[in-house]
Amino acid sequence: MWKVGIDVGGTFTDLFAVNSATGEERTGKVLTTPEERSRGVLNAIANAGIAPNEIELLVHGTTTATNALIERTFPDAAMITTEGFRDVLEIGRMHREHLYRPYQTKPEPLIRRRHRYTINERTTAFGKVEKEIDAAELQPIIEAIAAAGIKSVAICLINSYANPANERKVAEIITAALPGVRAISSADVKPVFREHTRFTLASVRATILPVMADYFERLEARLREAEFTGNLMILKSNGGMMSVNQARLRVEELVESGPAGGVGYASEIARTASSVNIIHTDMGGTSFDASIVEDGEGLITREYEIEFDIPVAVPMLDIRSIGAGGGSIGWIDSGGSLRVGPMSASSVPGPACYGRGGTRPTITDANLVLGRISPDLSGKFKLDGAAARAAVETVSSQLKLSIEECAEGMLRIATEAMAQAVKLVLASRGRDPRDFALASFGGAGPLHACAVAEALGTPTVIVPRYSGVASAYGALRLAIKHDEEVFYYAPLVAKELDEIGLRLKNLGAAAVEALLGQGASADSVQVSFVMRMRYAGQTFEVDVVQDRGVIERRDLDRLAEAFHGAHKREFGVRSNDFPVEIVALAVTAEAPSPAGILQSSTSSAIGSPRQAERKVWFGGWTDSLVHDAAGAVEVSGPALIEDPHTSIVIPPGWAARFDSARNCILERS
Amino acid sequence: MVTSIDPITFEVLRNTFEHVCRRMTVILQKSSFSPILSENLDFSNAIYDPALRLVGQTANCPVHLAAMHFSVQAVARKFGIETLRPGDVVVLNDPYDGGTHINDVTLTMPVFHEDMLIGFAVSRGHWMDLGGGGPGGQGFGTHVAGEGLRLPPLKLYRNYEVDPDLLEILLRNTRTPHYIRGDLQAHMGALLAAEDELQATARKYGRATLLQGMDDMIRYTERIVRAEIENIPDGVYEGADYADSDGITDAKVWARVKLTVSGSNLHVDFAGSDPQVAGAINSPFANTTAAVYTALQFFLAPDAPPNAGMFAPITLSLPDDCWLNARWPAPVVGCTTVTSGKVQSAIWQAVAKAIPDLAIAPTCADANWFVAAVRGAGGRIDVFSDIPAGGWGGTPYNDGLNVTLDPLGNCTNMPAEAAELLYPVVVEAFDLRQDSGGPGENRGGLGARFKFRFLNGGELSIETSRTIEGSPGVNGGSMSPVQVLVQEYGDGRREIIGGPRPDGTWRSPLLSSHKFGPNEAFEFLSTGGGGWGVARSRNPERVREDVIDGYISAEAARRDYGVAIDPKTLEILSDETSKLRQQA
Repeated sequence: MWKVGIDVGGTFTDLFAVNSATGEERTGKVLTTPEERSRGVLNAIANAGIAPNEIELLVHGTTTATNALIERTFPDAAMITTEGFRDVLEIGRMHREHLYRPYQTKPEPLIRRRHRYTINERTTAFGKVEKEIDAAELQPIIEAIAAAGIKSVAICLINSYANPANERKVAEIITAALPGVRAISSADVKPVFREHTRFTLASVRATILPVMADYFERLEARLREAEFTGNLMILKSNGGMMSVNQARLRVEELVESGPAGGVGYASEIARTASSVNIIHTDMGGTSFDASIVEDGEGLITREYEIEFDIPVAVPMLDIRSIGAGGGSIGWIDSGGSLRVGPMSASSVPGPACYGRGGTRPTITDANLVLGRISPDLSGKFKLDGAAARAAVETVSSQLKLSIEECAEGMLRIATEAMAQAVKLVLASRGRDPRDFALASFGGAGPLHACAVAEALGTPTVIVPRYSGVASAYGALRLAIKHDEEVFYYAPLVAKELDEIGLRLKNLGAAAVEALLGQGASADSVQVSFVMRMRYAGQTFEVDVVQDRGVIERRDLDRLAEAFHGAHKREFGVRSNDFPVEIVALAVTAEAPSPAGILQSSTSSAIGSPRQAERKVWFGGWTDSLVHDAAGAVEVSGPALIEDPHTSIVIPPGWAARFDSARNCILERS
Repeated sequence: MVTSIDPITFEVLRNTFEHVCRRMTVILQKSSFSPILSENLDFSNAIYDPALRLVGQTANCPVHLAAMHFSVQAVARKFGIETLRPGDVVVLNDPYDGGTHINDVTLTMPVFHEDMLIGFAVSRGHWMDLGGGGPGGQGFGTHVAGEGLRLPPLKLYRNYEVDPDLLEILLRNTRTPHYIRGDLQAHMGALLAAEDELQATARKYGRATLLQGMDDMIRYTERIVRAEIENIPDGVYEGADYADSDGITDAKVWARVKLTVSGSNLHVDFAGSDPQVAGAINSPFANTTAAVYTALQFFLAPDAPPNAGMFAPITLSLPDDCWLNARWPAPVVGCTTVTSGKVQSAIWQAVAKAIPDLAIAPTCADANWFVAAVRGAGGRIDVFSDIPAGGWGGTPYNDGLNVTLDPLGNCTNMPAEAAELLYPVVVEAFDLRQDSGGPGENRGGLGARFKFRFLNGGELSIETSRTIEGSPGVNGGSMSPVQVLVQEYGDGRREIIGGPRPDGTWRSPLLSSHKFGPNEAFEFLSTGGGGWGVARSRNPERVREDVIDGYISAEAARRDYGVAIDPKTLEILSDETSKLRQQA
């Protein structure tokens, strides 16, 4: 039987599989089938020569939800809200994305104004229902929703976080009248405070729920047809996995389902390669993603925005993306400064060296000019070195630099942009890059990894063995995870702690229950507890992680100190001037991946140490050895290590070795 | 310094300066105590070089942009740069010595690397209340002394320790002492982050390279600004806008501007603008300067690093006796909102004459800033504030932005759920106001309907404008409707307390400590932006979509756009539409 991880990306659908009996590992890459992505999943399985009825576990990461949200390809949803608040989605927080751009626009609201209805009802900020729901008032709205053929409704009432009774009442009436329509209460999605945040989250669920329900239905149908009877799990934004039945309901947790697998891989590296803290980076053709893995876990944010002012307030891996990839274009701005990206030559026309009509210099062209990639990269087609030089020259001549200096400059600028993206993730959390190792994924990543590490002061770079199918590989590594959160306000004083302890315990029990329903075994479940706290008077909170859920009166001093420390770490200051309060309680229950612990089959070089010599530019032309990845053992820079998917650049002063799992470890020598 | 750093290090430093300011912003927002900082983001953070020139800024309030530079200069003037030590933090807010209005409090920290000055970190935030004759400084007297505690440059921290005596003065001169310590701590967190980042950069690249990079950055922005000015045809272009009233007399107060473009230089002259007025909308030189640069930045260098390089090609002259060049003891609390908005709008109207194809129509041109004093639990007086924005003007490419804070700021709104949790109020509406955008081929964005109820009664002060005429259009676009201020009494009766009344009279939209009884509500209808281009040229299909979504009414579609729409089917009646459009 096989355990299979599948990642459906924008261009490729990647597969990694391991045979539970023999330990055999297989990888595969097929083109994504954008018109019907579930077909690509089956193609990938067939391509790897695996019979679906021999798959016991299939873990799937998908960007379908993200794409539907960004491209607005979901069917119209409706909203029912409190009179006076029809335009919360559209007004947003009233600010603009660019301070000074005169022609800027804002992203379209997720639900169009014509489908946003208001009713006369009220709950106070303290949870008292002041005006009950009037069923008669809902009647014309129900008729309009039915007439428009709308299939999902976000019910978003003011102050419902404090008491969801009115929202639930509306949901009941809608469901009774329109059984085919999904009625979604914002407080049931998540009882967070601030209407724009909560209404947006409910709208995200309402808009993509029909899309994902259809997708999962088709995928399951295809799998059934192919006689798959195994366990289907879906990756979620917080770097865990959930059953497909959970995923169908909690679609707002699928926004980072795609990249989550890569972070899972990085987490495994953190556990096996003895680098506890890892900066996970992934560089493809158009973008560069960065996130942090600390103590073996991906760092989480609650402030992710799909687009400007469209927040998705669920715990999500904090992945920053910038426009820096192999196709990013170098150009001169009106102030005479060399810039790189964010625009990209993408696949059409592609970098100049692809010979498909591109004339502007890209990062790939710069790498070719400097000898960092082989002209017959991966044997697919021959890269045109002359075209690359000509493209770089269009820029270098204006700067009065040599072609090589300019190409190297482009790489340095792209490298710095990447380093800044990483720093933003690190610095906004007060972390120091010198405490991390940098793990590099994606086709273009290992070309720049050492340079990015130099810019950050990071001492170690890791290029994982399966970096080419990282997300599919990582999918099998993630834990089953379930989050629960409640709004609960209390001052941090001894007499409140027993009640808080009780609530945390109940919350933990609910999360464990949900986890057991997804196939986790009771003895493997772990629960972590977070208290969201602040100084009384502040309106934003700091997460204070508890190593255990048992909280009693005598924990007061420990909790206070944990909060002060967390505040100092995030904001640089702490104080005894203010009382401390608790605003929300959250738990995460998790159980290890049902794939179990995988035994990597290979521990030593798997090929002969073939090598060739090539001139590579490192501030000047340097004779460098080019090693074949399969056979390389220990390599000192300046040198390159090439495999079918990428090239690892080892600059002067760096050395590479391979660990027992054939991950390439690069360090300053 | 003549030599430049290499282009690569330049780009690295450019990102670093942005990053430092962004980090300051996150810290100040997330750890501050008063909602005007944490929810409304009414603050700005910046870094300066040792020569007191702006190097980088995240301006949540662009109108702080050039004004903060007067703050650093005031610090240097008072203490002498050579006497400043690590851990000194100088506070000031004096409108006539480095500040703008009393509520904008500026904290300046010198940053050192190996005992040598490498720059200044500056954090400016709007503090909710520093005393004065009315809550939030909005007493609307005729003397600046009535607007709150005036702070000359003072060392509030020495060696990173707060001066307890000065702190005590701050705490005793406010209606909201519960915010002071926490906000101060948040500002300090932001300054320490900047110090940490700048020192790390100096360690990495060396002080000389860092300072050279700052100099290069400034010259880089100057080159971009000059190149853009050269794209504007040489000539003299005029524009004007006005405040409806100064709150004391009911006369319009005019800002008249003349832009003279000559090669890569731009001169801004306010000759002909009204003299200093009795009421609280006078603008100190620092504030007027800031409004001028903010307005021009949209057309000169929207994406350039915001720094002192912007200032060099632009010169400014103001008459001696002018409301835009306030002299002590003129009151000034409305300068950052009412007055900045009018300066910016006058400049945009002049720009529209210079580059009509690229111009955008004026905005609501006000922040509609109000302050309400409310009685909370136990009778504690609290002060609550918000800025219900209007819309932006149509552009050559698209409709204007709906309900977005005016160009002078980029603050966020107070969520209804935050307001109701923190204060004894019920927010009853914050939605789009139909037909409030100026009609045009590209119409103005819409304004808002904003309404809240005082549960226990209270007082409200507000200063705004556009109650006599709405936002003007450009290139044939039309004007938006006027703004309206309403008081709703307990029995549901409504009275217009600012703007045109049904009886033909008009009330000034500057209200100071206007009384509201228990369960009485304040409603404010903001206006949208002006229209761009002739409304009857708008594609009828776009008009129809607007009617379906309720952005405009079917009546307005007919009256303003000459488009007839069947009220039942919402289809365009094409024969009637052709007739209507021919009549025009």
